[in-house]
Amino acid sequence: MAQVPIQRHLLDNGLRVVLSRDPRAPLVAVNLWYDVGSKHEKAGKTGFAHLFEHMMFQGSANVEKGQHFSLVQAAGGTLNASTWLDRTNYFETLPGHELELALWLEADRMASLLPAMTQEKLDNQRDVVKNERRWSVDNQPYGSWDEKMQALVYPVGHPYHHSTIGSMEDLSAASLEDVQDFFATWYAPNNAVLTVAGDFETDEALAMIERHFGLIPANASLPAPPDMTVDSLLGEEVRETVADQVPLPRIYLAHRIPVFGTDAFDALDVAADILGAGRASRLYANLVREQQVAQDASVFVFPIVGGASMFALWVTARPGVSIETLEAATLAELDGLASRGPSDADLERVNNLHAAHVAGMLERISERADRLSMYTCLFDQPERINEETSRWTAVDADRVTDALRASLRPENRVTLTYVPAEAAS
Amino acid sequence: MITRPVAGAPRPYRFPDFDHQRLDNGLGVWLVPLPDRELVSIHLLTDAGAASEDEEHAGIAALTAQLLVTGTERLDASAFAETTERLGIEVGSESSWDSARAGFTALGSKLDDGLALLAEMLRTPRLDPGEFDRLKSERLNDILQARADAGRLADESFLREMFADDVPYGRISAGRPETIETLTVDDARAFHAGHYAPNVADIIIAGAITPDLTREAVERHLGDWEGTAPTHRTFEPVQRGGRRVVLIDRPGSVQSELRVGHLGINRHDPRYFPAMVMAALLGGVFGSRLNLRLREELGYTYGARSSFDPRRATGPFIASAAVQTEVTVDAIRELIGQLERIRESQPDEAELAEVRDFLVGVFPLRFETTSGIASAIEPLAVYDQRHDWWQRYRANLETVGASDVHRVARELVRPDEALILVVGDASTLRADLEAAELGPLEVVSTT
Repeated sequence: MAQVPIQRHLLDNGLRVVLSRDPRAPLVAVNLWYDVGSKHEKAGKTGFAHLFEHMMFQGSANVEKGQHFSLVQAAGGTLNASTWLDRTNYFETLPGHELELALWLEADRMASLLPAMTQEKLDNQRDVVKNERRWSVDNQPYGSWDEKMQALVYPVGHPYHHSTIGSMEDLSAASLEDVQDFFATWYAPNNAVLTVAGDFETDEALAMIERHFGLIPANASLPAPPDMTVDSLLGEEVRETVADQVPLPRIYLAHRIPVFGTDAFDALDVAADILGAGRASRLYANLVREQQVAQDASVFVFPIVGGASMFALWVTARPGVSIETLEAATLAELDGLASRGPSDADLERVNNLHAAHVAGMLERISERADRLSMYTCLFDQPERINEETSRWTAVDADRVTDALRASLRPENRVTLTYVPAEAAS
Repeated sequence: MITRPVAGAPRPYRFPDFDHQRLDNGLGVWLVPLPDRELVSIHLLTDAGAASEDEEHAGIAALTAQLLVTGTERLDASAFAETTERLGIEVGSESSWDSARAGFTALGSKLDDGLALLAEMLRTPRLDPGEFDRLKSERLNDILQARADAGRLADESFLREMFADDVPYGRISAGRPETIETLTVDDARAFHAGHYAPNVADIIIAGAITPDLTREAVERHLGDWEGTAPTHRTFEPVQRGGRRVVLIDRPGSVQSELRVGHLGINRHDPRYFPAMVMAALLGGVFGSRLNLRLREELGYTYGARSSFDPRRATGPFIASAAVQTEVTVDAIRELIGQLERIRESQPDEAELAEVRDFLVGVFPLRFETTSGIASAIEPLAVYDQRHDWWQRYRANLETVGASDVHRVARELVRPDEALILVVGDASTLRADLEAAELGPLEVVSTT
């Protein structure tokens, strides 16, 4: 697999810069990770990191509301941002000769967001975000699952206990003062990683970065990271049933596991694909195709770094199949893999699928830039991008078995079951 | 503070060169060598989409496409999945209105093995009765699930209510439960035998290839594929009635899913380019009129958009948004207001330039991946578009002026004829929608 080139720089104000030059297409990607996500929110302020992300598109000292989008799009670029548990990212992909436009826009809002903030803009984006929540959670079949799952897997008070979208009550309570505090606390160059990938000349790009970001002051008093400590196992089996407007029952299972970046996490990532990736996966082959107890199945791990991560899956019941039957069949697959371990064919299959997946991901400079920012922000190791496949091929059958036996235990399991509302009593 | 930078000089970009030939059996072969890539994408297209099925068998095209990946005469479903996935290949097979498509993206080193398996799958599929029954019930279950999802229910309902009764487009291309229920594996076998043939098929291979070797491999695996198939049927869609309001009751909904629209254009419409620019300006980009008004000014929604869906025959034009229940009537008025506004006057040059520059400038970004490039060849194969379509594409957009946008808006956006479809809580919405007099109201119960 071709190596992704990496050059690191550190500005005097603490901004970490990663450059990855690739002139094959006349395109450049700019990607910023701020080391702030929903885990940094205080009690009563859930959803704020995400609401704040929306405010970052409402203008800054030299940029009008909406102009961030219109300038990038008029330049032939695409852009967006997202907020998750650990971080908030902002990104643009545009023709290479427009690199400086993206840098200028990102620098302007990092340096001088607050002069553009108004109550009217906050009220508007609060309404937009509430509609985002209605659309993705409240009006969506099974839409509350991740919010409920996080609340069951992590104890009250743990920074992962609440969801990124937050509650309607807390969104209603957000104030302009909260916007000012959050910006002053977290949106500083020494709390961010800037990656530029694609078609650029290194010296020119560095000079532009220094010119636009170099004078933005650091926050000398960044807060200490939140305390993410949590027991490695839940300690008891947890079950909850939800009656919802859904035609078919669905079971979600989750377990606490070691965090992203550890060897055990990699082994469980491999296990998740053995169970859930492709038509030859254990759950598809056995539950969907052979036994025909499931309509669909999906297995995944959360790439998060605070205290404990999650190994989660869902299976949707076929009509006429009882929840008990589906649950027993699903657990039999987990137990079967944990007790007998993967075969050489299992490992060959998921390694080759993963290699193609990684090559597809790294084909896009936007994805390359995002992963470089991620590895730098979370581990200070951008070179991990070149270990995406070798970390997988290093996982052998014993590591998979050991990791599954350590984590996929009944006393470490949350079972969240959705049942059709009319059938619930 | 540093002022906004001025852009440097753009580097030239042109759509990659490709080679098109036809084998003696009629199979179209499109090769796009991209020597600096690790991956290769294969898209095999057949004129076996939903437009090739008759209405009594609606859904058979989609089921047949899906059934292909459940094995060959030589390899059963399990062995086929195992063999392909051990090569790192996930074979996809699906159909739309205008074609069926099978293919994959894989590391270049797997091309020969993958191509052999893909050819085996197309020519000698297993078409197993047990697998057919399973996929059929999964399809029916999926339709059941879709009807619980407000957005998918709105999409499906809009087609049913907007097109007249006998128009095939009045359903999703995957069929409808009433006909899917009656389908058997023999129907799939007949559909495969009747519609999968080299004279109506094209193979597109883009990425890490050596053209001579790849051409030889295609010839080896597909050169002796025999048979002929008829092309798709033709029809001319018409709309059901004029302006009216249909409320689909979904009790307990906290948002209303809005779909407002009417007939649009077909793939060969001479107004294609001005229509694309107009649709982007109205509702195709973040800074479009619909999104700016309904989201960024009013906060009614997470996003509002509009688009054409041009097919071989006339597809729909739809403006859509999911809005909080309380503002449903206001949101419909605002949305209709934007459809009226774009008809009333020319856009100013700055607004037009922003959208046009986006469509022109984003061009190279659309072709960053091998699968993106393979997909770009598809309309050339499926719709017989000129081979220099992409070479002329940006020039075609650049010539669209404000008067062209205004002209096509007057012709193609017709709020007076629009179906206004709402999926939401009727107990809250019915009285308001009646009082609003947006058009004759029909309430559909889903329970």
